[in-house]
Amino acid sequence: MELNICHLYPDILNLYGDRGNILCMQQRLRWRGIDVVTGGVSIGEKLDASKYDLIFVGGGQDFEQEVLLEDLNGGKTAELKAAIEDGTPVLAICGGYQMLGHYYETWDGQKCAFTGAVDLYTVGSKQRMIGNYMFTCDELALAVVGFENHSGKTYLGSGVKPMGKVLAGYGNNGEDGNEGARYKNVFATYSHGCLLPKNPKLCDHILATALTRKYGACELQPLNDALEAAAHDYMCARLSQK
Amino acid sequence: MIAVLACKFCRFAIRLLGRGGTDFPGRVALKLCPNLLGQLAKNVTTVIVTGTNGKTTTSRMIEQSWQDAGISFFANRSGANLLSGVTAEFAMNSTFTGKCRYTHALIESDEAAFKAISKFVDAKAVVVTNVFRDQLDRYGEVTHTLENIKIGIANSPNATLCLNADDSLCTSIAGDAKNPVIFYGIQTPIYAARVDELSDAPYCIHCKHAYEYEYVTYGHLGKYRCPACGYARPEPEVAVSDVVISDGEHSELIFSVGGVQYPASVNLPGGYNIYNACACMAAGKAMGLDLTVTAKSLSGFACGFGRMEKFQIGGTDVRMILIKNPAGCNQVLNFLTQRKEPFVFVACLNDRAQDGKDVSWIWDVDFERLVEMGDTLKSIYVSGVRAEDMALRFQYAGFPVDRLHVVKDYGKLMEQATKQNAPVFVMPTYTAMLDLRSTISKRYGYKQFWE
Repeated sequence: MELNICHLYPDILNLYGDRGNILCMQQRLRWRGIDVVTGGVSIGEKLDASKYDLIFVGGGQDFEQEVLLEDLNGGKTAELKAAIEDGTPVLAICGGYQMLGHYYETWDGQKCAFTGAVDLYTVGSKQRMIGNYMFTCDELALAVVGFENHSGKTYLGSGVKPMGKVLAGYGNNGEDGNEGARYKNVFATYSHGCLLPKNPKLCDHILATALTRKYGACELQPLNDALEAAAHDYMCARLSQK
Repeated sequence: MIAVLACKFCRFAIRLLGRGGTDFPGRVALKLCPNLLGQLAKNVTTVIVTGTNGKTTTSRMIEQSWQDAGISFFANRSGANLLSGVTAEFAMNSTFTGKCRYTHALIESDEAAFKAISKFVDAKAVVVTNVFRDQLDRYGEVTHTLENIKIGIANSPNATLCLNADDSLCTSIAGDAKNPVIFYGIQTPIYAARVDELSDAPYCIHCKHAYEYEYVTYGHLGKYRCPACGYARPEPEVAVSDVVISDGEHSELIFSVGGVQYPASVNLPGGYNIYNACACMAAGKAMGLDLTVTAKSLSGFACGFGRMEKFQIGGTDVRMILIKNPAGCNQVLNFLTQRKEPFVFVACLNDRAQDGKDVSWIWDVDFERLVEMGDTLKSIYVSGVRAEDMALRFQYAGFPVDRLHVVKDYGKLMEQATKQNAPVFVMPTYTAMLDLRSTISKRYGYKQFWE
């Protein structure tokens, strides 16, 4: 078996530890004897979604955003939309999550059009939502721990479900108690950086989704997740105390 | 001058309590007299060192060069580099009537605090080491850091700027300023092989086109040029024209300044310390010092607080290297991966405010390169508040789990790590370093850091 992962804009959307998610997916496949090929697609490069089994989009800095929007409009938006509708698994984090929505409206009212691949939108606020946080992943019935750092408040459209409920921290907007978004095989969350290593079951769930789509049925062998569990449980305990 | 007295009293009381508090006294003094710093610094010739990485080491180098040049000065130490800490330092070095005991001051300043400090201090020179992506939860994006430095410089109209020519972000500061500028830089690559790094500035700061590089020294530093708008590395006035030797203990360099060559030996290893040395030479030039003397000072300065600092524990050599962001940490790995002799590696990760509450950055560091060293890296110990996250990072880098140890107690950690018949390299984050030093000083009789 082999999984082809696309890292979209690896040189721009790589804010603080996004690479960790790629590393985590790669290792958890390799440890099970599954081959993995990761390819970056950046500015000026054509995205051929049919070549990939999973697309990863990370977070970025505001400075490069302009470069990115221009490039998206040059063909990647249409390709991404089609791939999502076709059921290609996508993991989108923070800025990448916002980018899947219709638009980002800055706190002073300027609207910036995004891809509109998923029915959601983001409104900027003056308040920054920063810190360790915890939320449920409803389809797996487990608690996910991570770190959020965003000033955008994201609101979901009717056809889009949240990943789960916020247990500690802010989540999508700090108002409706929701965190993340689920649409077809899109997994989107504000949990930036190393989301997957501390939440190996979520990682395996995303990998299994991609493998099932490619090969039909797929059962991933269990791994020794002792260190993963220790890191996860430490943060769970710390956030539960508050 | 009640504020000066209050400041001195607080510092005295805190030292009696046995804690290395360097910030609290300043905060008390600022409450009592908000313009205290302005008054105290008024007739003092001040040089400010700021930037993301290398501030402390560059300051210690400049300090040595001032000592050797016979300048009467004081410097802020122990990482007391916020507005309150700097105010406290000025107060502690002034008489009770508020007159400074020295003619010069050397101030290392957090790039965010520089903005505040510069309102009160009219600097003679400002040295900017570099601008890298730092702890995002504290400093925000890299362009935000750059803006802070620019505001600070706008507040310093009389300062000569010493800017890193190899850093496209740092160089951009010159464009907005009317100040005299001395660019410094390195004319040649400094590492035979480098770790795999993400660039913090791949796109032109002016037109957002991708840069082209003739060579890269590390990170986004090197001889860059934007093919679209022509923004390019300026020719440095103070340059390292040749790196003769750069080994595990030191570097031997040739500086070229205005056609004159100055050989120098830097008594700290690591390519990034070549930049710090170069920044020190630029500061010397800005102050009009005899550069032959400054170049000599580079072999005689005392290691800063956790910057490749040496200890000996039970006959084992220990080096402590502070880490705080991916760029700095990758440079430490560039240094370590050149080693041929076996060593033990210790990483202590905390997530308090001063460390950065977000530990995600460890995933941007190319720890895979350490793992590729095979048996040369005998074992890895992890500790600190977020030891589990650190352990996870090494597991996913492919390090054998049986040689990976989580030891949360610092006493046991140092005891076990130093019993492997190999030198130990300890990389702590800031508050982990404070705790580690306290343990080491208690158990092995080393001095507390503020002495």
